[in-house]
Amino acid sequence: MPKGYLCLVLHAHLPYVRHPEHEFFLEEKWLFEAITETYIPLIQVFEHLIRDGIRFRLTVTLSPPLISMLTDPLLQERYVRHLAKLIELAEKEEGRTYGSPFHETALMYKKRFQEAMTVFCDRYGRNLVSAFKYFQDAGRLELITCAATHGYLPLMMLFPEAVRAQIRAAVELHTRHLGGPPHGIWLPECGYAPGVDEILKENGLKFFFTDTHGLLYASRRPRFGIFAPIYCPSGVAAFGRDVESSKQVWSSQEGYPGDYDYREFYRDIGYDLDYEYIKPYIHPDGIRTHTGIKYYKITGRVDLSQKEPYNPRRAEEKAAIHAGNFMFNRQHQVRYLAGLMDRPPVIVAPYDAELFGHWWFEGPLWLEYLIRKIAFDQDDIEMITPSDYLQRHPCNQVAVPCSSSWGNKGYHEVWLCGANDWIYRHLHMAASRMTALANRHQSAGGLLKRALNQAARELMLAQSSDWAFIMSTGTMVDYAIKRTKTHVSNFLRLYEEIEGNKIDEGWLSALEYRNNIFPDIDYRWYQSKPGQAKAG
Amino acid sequence: MNVLFPLLFLALILVLAAGIFLWPARRSRLQVKKKEFDALPRPLFMQETAEEPGLHIPASTARPVFSPPPEPQLPRKYGVDRLVLMARDPHWLYAYWEITATKQEEFINSYGPAAWSATHPVLRVYDVTGVDFDGKNANSYMDIPVGEDTENWYIEVGQPDRSFCVDLGRMFPDGRFVTLLRSNTVTTPRASLSDRLDEEWMWIEGLYRTISRLQYGTSSPLIVEELAVRAGALPLGISSPGNWENRRET
Repeated sequence: MPKGYLCLVLHAHLPYVRHPEHEFFLEEKWLFEAITETYIPLIQVFEHLIRDGIRFRLTVTLSPPLISMLTDPLLQERYVRHLAKLIELAEKEEGRTYGSPFHETALMYKKRFQEAMTVFCDRYGRNLVSAFKYFQDAGRLELITCAATHGYLPLMMLFPEAVRAQIRAAVELHTRHLGGPPHGIWLPECGYAPGVDEILKENGLKFFFTDTHGLLYASRRPRFGIFAPIYCPSGVAAFGRDVESSKQVWSSQEGYPGDYDYREFYRDIGYDLDYEYIKPYIHPDGIRTHTGIKYYKITGRVDLSQKEPYNPRRAEEKAAIHAGNFMFNRQHQVRYLAGLMDRPPVIVAPYDAELFGHWWFEGPLWLEYLIRKIAFDQDDIEMITPSDYLQRHPCNQVAVPCSSSWGNKGYHEVWLCGANDWIYRHLHMAASRMTALANRHQSAGGLLKRALNQAARELMLAQSSDWAFIMSTGTMVDYAIKRTKTHVSNFLRLYEEIEGNKIDEGWLSALEYRNNIFPDIDYRWYQSKPGQAKAG
Repeated sequence: MNVLFPLLFLALILVLAAGIFLWPARRSRLQVKKKEFDALPRPLFMQETAEEPGLHIPASTARPVFSPPPEPQLPRKYGVDRLVLMARDPHWLYAYWEITATKQEEFINSYGPAAWSATHPVLRVYDVTGVDFDGKNANSYMDIPVGEDTENWYIEVGQPDRSFCVDLGRMFPDGRFVTLLRSNTVTTPRASLSDRLDEEWMWIEGLYRTISRLQYGTSSPLIVEELAVRAGALPLGISSPGNWENRRET
C-alpha cells in the first residue's frame, strides 16, 4: 500500500486552425510544431516505458479540436510536407556545423526529425490519435475529453443548452475516435461554475478538475483540502490542483524549465542565420519564423547574444536530477500528509502537454526519468488516474466547488476584460438563436439539416476560449478577432437564411468544406430540455 | 497572329458568357446584402484585420470553388431588448445591454414626449442574496449613473459570495426610477474558505498549513510571459494563462 498517490495530468489542446483555402497558413504551424516537439516525443516516452515493461498511470486530455486536426487528412499531408522540409534543413545543418560546438546538437535534430517521420508515417499511419488509443488500451493512459471547441463554460452558463452541446459534441467525438466514452473531462482553462457539473453528469462524465481555490473555497470547507476529491451534489467528483508541484514545473523562477543547461527557446536559426540560406524554410513571404532548430542553452540571465552552446548530454543529466528532485519533494509531501489523513492523499499535478517539448525542450525526458524513478527508486508514491482513485475511495465529502479558473487572478477576468468583453453580446445572441432554431426544427432533413448543423459548428468555433485569451494577451490579436467575427458572422447569415427559407447551398457547401469540424454534429443537441424552453 | 486571334476571341466569348450567367446570382446576393446592411445600424467594430498572404486555392480534385470570405462585420444591435449580467470575480460584475426603439417608445408613450430627455439612464444594482427577487424585496441597492450611449459597464460590488440583479432604468430629476430592463441574477464567487463545516468531515488544520502559499493563476507564467514577447510562436499559454501581468514587471 503506497502512502499517497500522484495524479499527473497532461492537457493537450490547440485551437482548431485549418485553412484549406490557403496553400500556406502560418497559424497551422502551431500544430506542426506541437506534433514534432511535444506529441511525438511524448509518444516515444510511452513507447520506451512499455518496451521496458515499466508500470505507469497518467491522465491525458485530448481536446476535440486537437483530435479533429490530428485525424484530418489535409493537415496530415501538410505536416508530412513540413517535416520533410525540416529534415532537409537538418541535413544541411549537419554539414554547416561540422567541426563546430553545434555539430552534436545538429545531429540530434536530424535524428529526432527522422524518427518523427518514422513514428508519424510508418508506426501510426499518420494518425497520432491511434497512438494514444494504443497506450490507453494498454492500460497506461486514462484519456479524458475537453469541451468541444475549448469553450469557456463559466461565461456560457447563461445558455445551458450551449454548454450541453459543447459537452455532448466532445463526448461523441471522443467515443468515435477512442473506442469508448470518456470518464472525465478537463474543463477548458480549469473554468468551473456551479451547474456545469450537472451537465457533465447528463453526459456520463464522472470527474473534472479545478484550480486549488476552486476546491478549497467550496461551499463547505473540505476536510482534506485539495488532497482528496469532493463530490458535487450532482455526484460528479472534483479534483483540486496541488500548489507545490505546479510551481516546481510552471514557475519561470523557481521552476525547472528555466535551468541554466536547458535549451534556450528564443535562439532559433530561423532568426539567426543568413537570409538566403534560411529562406526556403521560413514563411514563403520571407518573414522569419521559428524553425525548431536551436543551438543555445539558457545560460542564466544574459542577453540572447551571450548564450552559450547547448550540450544535449548535460541537459539530459539535468532532466534526471530534476526528476529526482520532483519525486523527492512528492515523497516528502505525501509522508507528511499521510500522517494526518485516514486515506492516502492524492497530489494532482496538471500541466499543458505542450509545455513538455515545445517550451521546455527536455520536458518529455524529465517525465520519462520521473516515471522510471517512481517505478524503481521508492515505495511511497503510486501513480494514479482519477477513475482508479474513485474506484478505490468512493466515499468523499459533498460540497459545491467555487466558481474559478486557473487563469490570471484565478477567476474569469482573462476571458472577460476590456480587450475581449465585446464578444459576449454576440456569442450569447448566437447561442440563444441556435437554441431557438433547434427548438423550432424538431427533425429537419436535407439542406435545412445541413444548414442547422453548420450553424452549430460556426457557433462552437466562435466560442473557442482561445480567441478571447489571445485578445487578452495582446499578441496575434488580429487573427483571433478575425476568427471570432468570421464564425459569428457565418452563424448570423445561416440563421437569416434558415429563418427566411432561402439557404444558399453553394455558400453552405463552401462553409462545410472550410469549417469541417465535428462531421457527426447534431443541431438538436441545442434543443431545450422539456420545461426549459425559453430561448426565442 | 492568325492563330492567336480566334483563340482570344473565343476566350472573350467565354468570359462574356460566364458574366451573363453569373451576374444575376451576384446581383441578387448583393441586393440581399445591401438590404441587410441598411437594416442594421453602423457596425461596432471597424478595425481591419490583415488579409492572409498567398491566397491559392489548392488545385487538387473535387474541391468546391468559392470566393474568399469578405471581411466580416458584426451588427451593433440585434433588435432585442436585453440586459445581461456576468460575475467576473468575487468583486466585480459585468453587464451589457441593448434597448430597442420600441422600448424607448413605450417609455415615451407612458411618460410623455419630454420624459426621455428629462431623465437619465441609471443602473440599479440590487443585492438579492437569499431572496426570490420580485423587484421590491432586495436586501439593498446602489445606483450607478451611466451615459446615454453606454452599452456595457463593469460594476464593483466588492462582495464575494453574494447574489446580484441589475435594472437599467431612467431616473427623473425628482428621484423617481423607472425600470426599462432587468437582468438575470448572478452570484459572485467565494474568495475565502467557507465557514460551513461538516461534522463528519471536520477539516484538518495541519493539512491546510501545507497549502500556505496559495497564489492564483500560477499555471504558466513562464509561457505566457514569453508569449507576450514574441508573436508567431506556438501559443501554448492558450490553455493555461498565468499571472503574466505581474510577471512582466519583474
